[in-house]
Amino acid sequence: MNDHDLDAVFAQARALAPADNGAAERFLVGHRQRRAQQRTRRTGWVGALLASAAAVAGLTVLRPTPELPASAAYGAYQSAWGDGW
Amino acid sequence: MVRLLFLGALTLWGGAGASDMTDLLGALRQAQTLEARGVVEVTVLFPPRQLPSKAAKALPRVPFHLGLIPRNFGVSRAGTENVAGRPTTRFELTPKVGLAARWTLWIDQRWNIPLAYQESFPDSTLARRATFQKVNAAPVKVQNLPPTLPQGLRPALLAALPGLRLPAGVQPVGIRNRANGGLELSLSDGINVFALVTAPRGVRAAPGIASRKVGGGFVWLVGNLPQSALDAALAKVRQVNTAGLGTFLTVDASNPQNDPKSQKETTP
Repeated sequence: MNDHDLDAVFAQARALAPADNGAAERFLVGHRQRRAQQRTRRTGWVGALLASAAAVAGLTVLRPTPELPASAAYGAYQSAWGDGW
Repeated sequence: MVRLLFLGALTLWGGAGASDMTDLLGALRQAQTLEARGVVEVTVLFPPRQLPSKAAKALPRVPFHLGLIPRNFGVSRAGTENVAGRPTTRFELTPKVGLAARWTLWIDQRWNIPLAYQESFPDSTLARRATFQKVNAAPVKVQNLPPTLPQGLRPALLAALPGLRLPAGVQPVGIRNRANGGLELSLSDGINVFALVTAPRGVRAAPGIASRKVGGGFVWLVGNLPQSALDAALAKVRQVNTAGLGTFLTVDASNPQNDPKSQKETTP
C-alpha cells in the first residue's frame, strides 16, 4: 500500500456514510442501557446480601435456645442419688 | 360375731404391718453405724447408662428419710431368702399413694442391716439393684449420718415456683446451685429420689424427664415416675422466682466452683 492508497482510505474514513447517521445516539442509548443494567444487577446483589444478613441476624436472635441433651437431666438425677450408684 | 372376727383380723394385720415397719426402720437405723463389706453388684437401668452394672465393696447409699417412709410406704415381710449365703428377711415397700417406685430390701437376720436393695418401676420391672455377691465375715463400724429435712424448704419452694404440684408424699430435701445457672433441688418420698431443676435452657425429652418453659427459663423434673405424673407436677408452674431459696444454699454450694460434682452442659 502506497501513500496514495492510504490517502484514499483516510478520505473514505472521513466521509460520512449512511451507517454513521445516528451512530452517536445509538452509542449513547446502548451505553445508558448497559449502565442501567449494571446498576440493577449491583442493586439486586447488594439487596440480596442485605436480606441474607438480616435473615441470619433474625434467626440468631429469634431462634429458640437449643435444648440440652437428656444426659444433663440424668446427671442432676444421679447427683441427687449421691455417690456409689 | 363375724364383725368381731373381722375387726380382730384387721387389728392383727395392721399390727403385723406396724411391726414390719418397726423392724425395717430398726435395720435402717442400725445401718447408720454398721455396714457389711465384700463384693457388691450394682445395676442401674434408670437413668440409662453405657455400662449398667459395676462392682463395689459396699452397698451404695440410699438416702433413706426414716420419718417419711412410714408416711408414704406400706411395709410387708415377704419371707426369708439367702443373699451371698446369708439368711435375710425380705421386706417389700409399696407406695401408699401415687405411682412411685416400689422397693425391696433384704435385711441380714443376724446383723440386722441391709444386704441388698432393689428399686422397681411401677410395672415391677427392675430400675436399680445393689446386692452382695460375697460378704466378709464381719461387718464394720461406720458413721453414716442420716439425711435431714431442711425446715421451711417446702413452703419456700412452693412460693418460688407457684403452681408446682409435688408428687404425692414428696418433700424437698436438698438444694444447690448449678454451674451454668439455676438451681438443683433433691426431692424424696423417704426412699425414691427426684431432681427438680431450674435452668436457663430446656432439656430434650427422654424417659423420666419433664421439662417446661416458664417465663424466660425452664423447670425440669427427673425421676422414676410415669411421664404423665412428671408432666402433671410441672403443668401449672406459672413463675420461677428462686430469690427466696437463697438462704437454703450452703456457702460451698453457692459457689459452683467449689463443687467437684458440678458439670458442664454442652450440646452435642
